[in-house]
Amino acid sequence: MCAHATLRKGGLEPAEIAVFGTDPDPAAVWRVRSAAIRQRRMRSESDGHCAPSSFPGLAVRTAIRRRSPAPLVQSVFDRYHPTVDEFLDHVDELRAETGWDESFHAARVERVRAVEGGFEVDGHGVYPHVLLAPGHPGLAWPEGLEGDPRAVHAYEPHEFEDTLEIVGAGMAAATEWLNALDAGASVISVRRREPERRPLNLPRELFSRRGLAGFHKTPPDERVGVLERFGAPSYPAGSSWDEPVEAARRSGRFHVAAELNGAPQVVCATGFERGFRHDPLLARLVAEHALEAAGEWIVLTPDSTVASLTDETRTLALAGVPAQWAFPAADTLMGAKYAARRFGRKVAAWRTR
Amino acid sequence: MAYTLRGRVESRVAAALAPLLVSCALALALDAWWPVELAGLMLAVGLALDAAYYRLVPYQPGWAALPLGLLELGLVMGLARLLQVEAPLPGALGFFAGSWLLAQALGHAVFPLARLSYGEDGGELGRVGPGAAATALVALAAAGGVAWATQPPVVHLSAGVHQGPLVLDHSQHLIGEPGAVVRGGIIVKADDVTIRNVTVIGGDHGIQVDLSKNVLIERVSILGAYLDGINVRRSEVTIRDCSVSMVGNEFGQGIDISFTADLEPSMVENCLLTGGQEGIFLDSVHAMAIDNHVRQTTLRGITVTEMAMATVDGNRVEDGVGIGILCSDYSMCDIRENSISGIRRDHESSDSMREGYGIVSHYFAHTEVEGNEVSRTRHTMGAFADAYITSR
Repeated sequence: MCAHATLRKGGLEPAEIAVFGTDPDPAAVWRVRSAAIRQRRMRSESDGHCAPSSFPGLAVRTAIRRRSPAPLVQSVFDRYHPTVDEFLDHVDELRAETGWDESFHAARVERVRAVEGGFEVDGHGVYPHVLLAPGHPGLAWPEGLEGDPRAVHAYEPHEFEDTLEIVGAGMAAATEWLNALDAGASVISVRRREPERRPLNLPRELFSRRGLAGFHKTPPDERVGVLERFGAPSYPAGSSWDEPVEAARRSGRFHVAAELNGAPQVVCATGFERGFRHDPLLARLVAEHALEAAGEWIVLTPDSTVASLTDETRTLALAGVPAQWAFPAADTLMGAKYAARRFGRKVAAWRTR
Repeated sequence: MAYTLRGRVESRVAAALAPLLVSCALALALDAWWPVELAGLMLAVGLALDAAYYRLVPYQPGWAALPLGLLELGLVMGLARLLQVEAPLPGALGFFAGSWLLAQALGHAVFPLARLSYGEDGGELGRVGPGAAATALVALAAAGGVAWATQPPVVHLSAGVHQGPLVLDHSQHLIGEPGAVVRGGIIVKADDVTIRNVTVIGGDHGIQVDLSKNVLIERVSILGAYLDGINVRRSEVTIRDCSVSMVGNEFGQGIDISFTADLEPSMVENCLLTGGQEGIFLDSVHAMAIDNHVRQTTLRGITVTEMAMATVDGNRVEDGVGIGILCSDYSMCDIRENSISGIRRDHESSDSMREGYGIVSHYFAHTEVEGNEVSRTRHTMGAFADAYITSR
């Protein structure tokens, strides 16, 4: 969606863009997952939207709609987090504004191959510029729990038993602690380390060139280590997170444990599988073209493109979580726009050549 | 926003472009250089601070713009005062506030709209950045060039005696070298004139200023004038650090500024005035007499009269005859922190006001007094002929 909107802003008509996916709703997968964990507010802030320009952000739009300056004031203090509904409304509006449906082709793409003049997209034609945004490869399950009748993944629809164990220590786990406590359940948080507390997925400097310049200079081995560290679970600080947990802890309804201990329900807030090897499309792409990889990541240039398959005549770029080599917060909305804008520049330069 | 150093600089310079151009237009409209000087100062302070911000503020939340803006305002105004940028306070504050608001609008809305990756690029503007810097430099250089080209010429008066009267009928800085003496007086008939480091001997008036604005008379010594030491008519002057000797002159005034009530205030500051009828005579003016030393006058030390509005502050008036400080004829005077001593009775006059008064308010004048010291004088203060005195 971000890339489509950016390309449209760059002057491409909907018919000049082909979007391949399994659901015409660009937020379909995310919609289900956010509903499953009963997410009410975004972790992202005013800039966390899909429009090509950061201004006007969601705070401005909400302030206008509500006729209240409160969202703007909150945004000034980095305290504005749009509701999930506001974000989804924005996605729907953008979908209509940009002609997304005209560009959309319902098709599962399982193979992309470099050919003369561009990339052959799984029998759907050859395109000179391709942006792959396959999303997360799949849900990550703790070892031995996939298929266990007691276990449910946080990103799958579920209700809560009276007593349950929640595995994980990130944003989804923290959300599930509050959901379960709110539902009257007793919660055992199963985690092997204390979560980091930070407002966004990563330190803010890493969302701009200030932090990225240093990141891009790191040699591959070191960068793998950096990305692994960044993958550690975290959720924001704040009383809205801490007070319900602390109150439950005092009343004996919240405990922390290092191991599972036989609760009737286990909620796995363990996120997604990591690495391109879990994604058949990417794994095949790497194998067929002998793309450079480091650890779990495909090596990309800072502009999110695959260097060996990109030149003046064609572009292969990655967006979303597989693009972390270029932008460590690639699995955020800001990350999607980062890749989209650079992809858009490549396309624009090619068109004006 | 997590700015890069280049991003801070480019954003700063691009946001300063419009204020710079506006300041040039204002300078033309107001016939004053302070808008350009202020805009240049704002840019210089901002760029200097950007280097510090880059180190100290890795991520700048939106709210930080306000305290950082106030810090910049304080530094800019302080430096403006230090560098004697003659910007009126409301105008300077308004210009700064307008520029700051514009910068906020540009940084939060316009730049992100114009350059989609503005935030990701840490405030960098791509190819526009160097262009903006070049334009700003050109604007500043052009303004500086015009300022330099239109500066009054500096005329150096060499040591020795120069026969006057010298008539200054165009803008210039007349700067005397040590030992420079003009015999026969100096007459100023042009705006933007500075006279500095000159001794004037004789002349009808030592220095005469007619119909001229922005005249600065500084570090001059005057003696032996036939009429007044410095005589100002319908002009705006600043006179400071001067010495005027009227000893033996029966009717002259040390400094006489008259008929300037509709002009910008004039100022007499830190001058030594000796002898003559009156040390400082302010007639139908807006003026300030501050920190002067007036002595041995035969009529009054300092006179404010004829619907004048004046501040007389911190002066020392001593060893005169009749009256130390007079506020007269519908004038409004703010007389404070002066030291008046040794004002003797005028034995040659039967006028009751001349029995030796430190301060006199006369003929419908309104005099406000505060913190004055009167000693060795028969009467401290007196009000005559429907005038009154208010103590604060």
